[in-house]
Amino acid sequence: MYAGLAYVRPEKLDEALEFLEEHGGETAVVAGGTDVMVDLRSGALQTGYLLDVSRLSELKGIAMQGEELWVGAGTTLSEIYSSETLALFAPALQKAAFTFGSKQVRNTATIAGNVVNASPSADTMPPLLIHEARVVLASSNGVRTVPVEAMSTGPYKSAIHPDEVITRFILKPAKSMLADFQKIARRKALAISRMNMAVMAEKDETGKIMFMRLALGSSTPTPRRMEDVEAFLLGKRPDRALLWEAGQVLAEKMVEITGRRPSTGYKEKAAQGLFMRMLYPLV
Amino acid sequence: MLRIGAVERLKGEPIFSADLKLDHPLTLNVLRSSRAHARIVKIDINGALNVKGVVKVFTASDVPGNNLTGIINKDRPLLVSDKVRFVGDSIAFVAAENEEAAEKGVHAINVVYEDLPAVFDPEEALKDSAPKIHEKGNLLFSRKVKKGNIDKAFENCQAVVEKTYQTSCLEHTYLEPDAGAGYVDGDGTIVIFASTQNPHYDHSEVVSILGVEDEKVRIIQAATGGGFGSKLDLNVQGFIGLALYHLKRPVRYVYTREEAFLATAKRHPLTMIMKTGADRNGKLLAMRARIICDTGAYASYGIAVASRSAVHATGPYEVENVDIEAHCVYTNKPFSGAMRGFGAPQMAFANESQMDLLAKELSMDPFEIRRVNIFRQGSETATGQKLTESIGILECLDAIQPYYKGAVKKWRTSEASPFKRKGVGIGAMWYGIGNTGMRNPSTARVEMDPAGAVTLYTGCADIGQGSTTVLAQIVAETLCLEADAIQLVVGDTKYTTNAGATSASRQTYISGNAVKEAAEKLRELLMTGAVDVLKVGKGSLMLDSGFVADSNDNAKRVSFSKLAARAYKKGLPFVCQGYFDPETVPLDPETGQGVPYSTYAFACHLAFVTVDTMTGEVRVEKVVAAHDVGKAIYPEGVIGQICGGVAMGVGFALMEEFMHGQTESMKDYFIPTCKDMPEVIPIIVESREPTGPFGAKGVGEPALIPTAPAILNALNDALGERIYSLPANLERVLEASIRSGCFGPKEAKNV
Ligand SMILES: Cc1cc2nc3c(=O)[nH]c(=O)nc-3n(C[C@H](O)[C@H](O)[C@H](O)COP(=O)(O)OP(=O)(O)OC[C@H]3O[C@@H](n4cnc5c(N)ncnc54)[C@H](O)[C@@H]3O)c2cc1C
Repeated sequence: MYAGLAYVRPEKLDEALEFLEEHGGETAVVAGGTDVMVDLRSGALQTGYLLDVSRLSELKGIAMQGEELWVGAGTTLSEIYSSETLALFAPALQKAAFTFGSKQVRNTATIAGNVVNASPSADTMPPLLIHEARVVLASSNGVRTVPVEAMSTGPYKSAIHPDEVITRFILKPAKSMLADFQKIARRKALAISRMNMAVMAEKDETGKIMFMRLALGSSTPTPRRMEDVEAFLLGKRPDRALLWEAGQVLAEKMVEITGRRPSTGYKEKAAQGLFMRMLYPLV
Repeated sequence: MLRIGAVERLKGEPIFSADLKLDHPLTLNVLRSSRAHARIVKIDINGALNVKGVVKVFTASDVPGNNLTGIINKDRPLLVSDKVRFVGDSIAFVAAENEEAAEKGVHAINVVYEDLPAVFDPEEALKDSAPKIHEKGNLLFSRKVKKGNIDKAFENCQAVVEKTYQTSCLEHTYLEPDAGAGYVDGDGTIVIFASTQNPHYDHSEVVSILGVEDEKVRIIQAATGGGFGSKLDLNVQGFIGLALYHLKRPVRYVYTREEAFLATAKRHPLTMIMKTGADRNGKLLAMRARIICDTGAYASYGIAVASRSAVHATGPYEVENVDIEAHCVYTNKPFSGAMRGFGAPQMAFANESQMDLLAKELSMDPFEIRRVNIFRQGSETATGQKLTESIGILECLDAIQPYYKGAVKKWRTSEASPFKRKGVGIGAMWYGIGNTGMRNPSTARVEMDPAGAVTLYTGCADIGQGSTTVLAQIVAETLCLEADAIQLVVGDTKYTTNAGATSASRQTYISGNAVKEAAEKLRELLMTGAVDVLKVGKGSLMLDSGFVADSNDNAKRVSFSKLAARAYKKGLPFVCQGYFDPETVPLDPETGQGVPYSTYAFACHLAFVTVDTMTGEVRVEKVVAAHDVGKAIYPEGVIGQICGGVAMGVGFALMEEFMHGQTESMKDYFIPTCKDMPEVIPIIVESREPTGPFGAKGVGEPALIPTAPAILNALNDALGERIYSLPANLERVLEASIRSGCFGPKEAKNV
């Protein structure tokens, strides 16, 4: 099954990039392997080389750098789970780790792997979107930075170039009144999101919403920030009826983007319901 | 005491089929049909023969004996030659030096199909115009249970509830995918180690396929990682047997998870049209039930499932007038077979929903309506059987009632977060132990060697449920020894005699009795020998840890070993055979009247659920599970079964659904994780069964049966809306929430 597959594990980022410069087209980068190994076994992934980036120290670490929050590409979900920095500056991202896979999966799965795999249900995507994350990509030609929403062009379609490695994510840190991530799944662990959502919101002294970020996953071809809903609520005083209405806007937007599918019947209601549940603390 | 084999399992020592060390074993791979219903025009194996490493390709023409298999009726070819009946049917298989070659070989076989119209809906399949899946037509079997006059009785009812219920197709998802391995012995015997629930059946089936003498095949049950009914069918054993027969080289075959999903039995989806009526006191007067069991492409245990679902349709309640029909129907779906409960879990869901609906119509408490109708001493079942002993259902109901009262008073109304609703629900059940109105004996042998060591020989497969522990305890108790002093030979057809299937919750009761009889015979031999040695009458003799002693003068004693040595010297070895077959009366084909089982297990569960009205998410918080097992010979084992049963019940109720043509593996088939598990409060009720070993009955399947009904009734309690199709997944629960008016901005309670 894996005949002709070679495994490469560079010690330094430069070596990895050099290797990719030459063999990028016939190489799959592997970090935690929780997507790559599954796809190798099923045959969905055919490749000549596996380039293991899991030991590259250049991809590690979570830290505040001035006004920016840096999260290394190779950060595992377990590291996200227990990071005090994230608890302070990106609580929604941390919450995404709480319900992510199982402990075994979290111990090896990485944030970059989640983004590059480009599943519509990737759980780190909604939090990254509300933190307006930028992705730092390195190749032997240099470094480029793109917004996280540009990383994926459709379900399981990553915009990464074959000679590139993600080195880190740069997030806008936020300490807002409300910061949350929730997911709906068919069971309580080891389950792919049927729907996930991340939100940050802040009210001013008069009780009006003055800051809001909302992103929805598993419901559109790629996870999306929902600016229409943000705009709808901005400057308004939230009560139940208003939130319900905003949830309706969210559901309509989702259907507009995705079109009607067999799952829409559930999802348009669930989007409104989940939105209500998550925003309710603002009331 | 610790369960026998627990420490070894913990240390990873038991040998599963895949672990067996063999000398350069060949590996097998089966070519499965890609069509649901098609005539086979041609099978071209030449491509496969050219693959390096392929040793032989087998088709139906290589089967020397009977190509048809099946435990109740033989309708399933080991290898299809004329036509395929579902996606997954086995057409040919490759034996190769390694897995890669075997897989390549399979891909290189070319099959020319001629598609036939296929039918997937059992009701469609019953129509005259439907494509015929088997020669005899698509109706496999019907079981009717009729008594009294329902038309007249319905007229006298104060409340009549008529509803249709639907359950999903399930995959057992045992931990260890099907596996086997084997070799040909020095004397030409075909030896097969298998992951199985019934080694003696495997033996007869492999003998039949190969057309050889009984002695030429030996089946040994390898360590088995669960089965839940699916390992009652022949899975890998036939392929391995055929390969050994022709190639005489060691062979191993381990299914991938995908293969286990594709090619092994499923749980029958049931459609149940139920009409139940009661008078104004809640007394059930009449029931009409029409049940359709979708058995898929082959019968497997379909007849047993149809029969049992009809017999159990009333639940553990007296109903004087019944008109019940269960029809088992072939379709072009994966075949359904035995799965923990044989139709009883499906029926309990329908029936317990009906009970709550009737209670609501009559403004009765759900306990009250059950209490009015529940089986008591002297009750008559739908098949006309008078129940006389060991009817612990009322005790089970009583055991959970305090929890219910507490829940209604406090828990249900206690603060939940906004958008959450709480509910409690009851599920009750009865379950006949053993096969339905059929002979199903067990045998066992207990020997004492000249040194006084006792060995139990049993064909009873312990697949993780713990039968070996219980059977050893029974021998030990009878002979006044410690259970760990009993040597065990389990599930090896060369040495053990037939104990029947590990199914129908029958092994403790039936094999327990067979083992007990053998042990009692040995005890008798010891006593007789001791009379001779001690010159004391049998009446005053007793067994005392390895000795027979005079109960009046304890110093007067003789050891088992001495007695055994004497007997062997006389040419009368201490070898005792035991036998037990529960007394049943076959069911009348038209009315279903008869005695299907000689004893029944009973249980009641109470489920506590929290529902998210905004998203349809459900958390089962707690299940209180009271079980009448007759006598808990190994209480830890009973509790283990109850907790496992609840887990499976949670899956059945909320998430499990196998969709043919779509579901591939555990990636898209969800069984509960430990995070989905409720707190379980097991309550053991012991209503002694006089014909059981030390009063015992069974618990394996009963453990699962009441959970889903209790959860579904709890969901209804929480939302005020009922769900009639399983699983009660996100979509169905949210729909119910919307119907009930719980979904919306105003419904949020203040925190
Ligand atoms: C049992 C199980 C449960 C799961 N549960 C969840 C869940 O709850 N939520 C969820 O969102 N996902 C889940 N997943 C999916 C998976 O675990 C995640 O997508 C995970 O984040 C992938 O990370 P990884 O490091 O394992 O990626 P890998 O499998 O190593 O790689 C995935 C992709 O990312 C690329 N890649 C990895 N690192 C880099 C890098 N630094 N630069 C460039 N490309 C890179 C690889 O080339 C590959 O294309 C689950 C998977 C399994 C098997």
